[in-house]
Amino acid sequence: MTAQPTRPVPLPPDRAASGAAKIVIPSLIGALVALTLGLYGRLHHPTGIAVNIAGFSSPGSVKSWLATTAAVFALVQVGSALVMYGKVPRVAAPSWIGGLHRWSGRIAFLMAVPVAVHCLYALGFQNYSTRVLVHSLLGCAFFGAFTVKMLILPKRGLPGWVLPVVGALIFALLVAIWFTSAFWFFSTFGVKR
Amino acid sequence: MRRNTPLITLLTGGAFGIILLIASMLATPSKAPTGYSAAAPSTAASAATVQSSSPAASPTLTAVASANAPFGADYAGRVHGSHASVAISIHGTQVIAYACNGSVVEAWLKGTAIGGQLVMTGKNGARLSARYDSRRAFGDIFADGIHYTFSVGTVHKPSGLYRATADVRGAMIKAGWIVLPDGTQVGSLESDADAAAPSATAAPPLDVAAGTAQHGSTVLRVTAISGVTGSGF
Repeated sequence: MTAQPTRPVPLPPDRAASGAAKIVIPSLIGALVALTLGLYGRLHHPTGIAVNIAGFSSPGSVKSWLATTAAVFALVQVGSALVMYGKVPRVAAPSWIGGLHRWSGRIAFLMAVPVAVHCLYALGFQNYSTRVLVHSLLGCAFFGAFTVKMLILPKRGLPGWVLPVVGALIFALLVAIWFTSAFWFFSTFGVKR
Repeated sequence: MRRNTPLITLLTGGAFGIILLIASMLATPSKAPTGYSAAAPSTAASAATVQSSSPAASPTLTAVASANAPFGADYAGRVHGSHASVAISIHGTQVIAYACNGSVVEAWLKGTAIGGQLVMTGKNGARLSARYDSRRAFGDIFADGIHYTFSVGTVHKPSGLYRATADVRGAMIKAGWIVLPDGTQVGSLESDADAAAPSATAAPPLDVAAGTAQHGSTVLRVTAISGVTGSGF
């Protein structure tokens, strides 16, 4: 059969621009989250009050262990993401890899929340040393970046590099946060309950 | 995605955080000391007004109890812009404070706590001037010629201030430790505390549970300084 001449389809709006717009609003929301946490930490007078969970030697150790567990789940995140994207040679992505990635991420996030609440409420946003300043800044940035990732995940039509970059950023922030807190705590006080 | 599960994850975490924050705020004690408003330190005039109005109401058990019990609170935390820390313990109208940076900068201070104001002095020109309420103490401190400002919250044992003295070969050793809520210790030790301007060095680590610290061959035993219990006053 002969091909019928078709009416030219109007070109879609500039795809690069609409793709970028999908990132802008989540980024703004994420920045707002980070800013809100930082402002709260700075303006709220830290109480120094600590809720102690039985079985641990101090609130600092509770948070350090929670943070370390979150970091371990974050490593599972990175590993499962590499497998999902086919970056691990000779390892095919099993059907459950997506579920592992989502649940390890949720667990890491939910473990980080009580640590952050205690940090903001009892200690506040501090700058008396480089370590605490970096920790305060990156702690706020982490939750902003995590917000961005959750908001862009359902979106379609995003460039392929966006999700891995945001995921990598979150991972890098969490590792730096862990280094300026749990690692410092265990180095100073020893690895103990 | 049929359901926006990432959004559910985000909102779950946010709700979890808010619940924990409210729980923390509820768990934070905010005892209103007799005669002082909880919000801001009051002047002598308004303090007198509050005190005279409470007997007019039918006396409740708590009103009688708080009228008889002295105000007691312990505060500790970092000063602004430095590793140094300050600990303040108020017991009635008496107050003991200690500031130290874990090595040479340190000072013991004593003074009065009246009407929400702290006025304290110590050796070698140490001075502390601050205001306090049931949740925090904030003001200025001068120690070893250095000026710090601070705003520190209340703490509870095992956090807070500890003091140890010992006589070693005729010289009095006096050490102080400030244990911060995250477990950090900041402590200094004067090897000749009776001197007019005693010099200090870093204190040995304090075993908080045992209440001892090892200084060379001497075992220092600490007294916990607590405005709430009156220990150390």
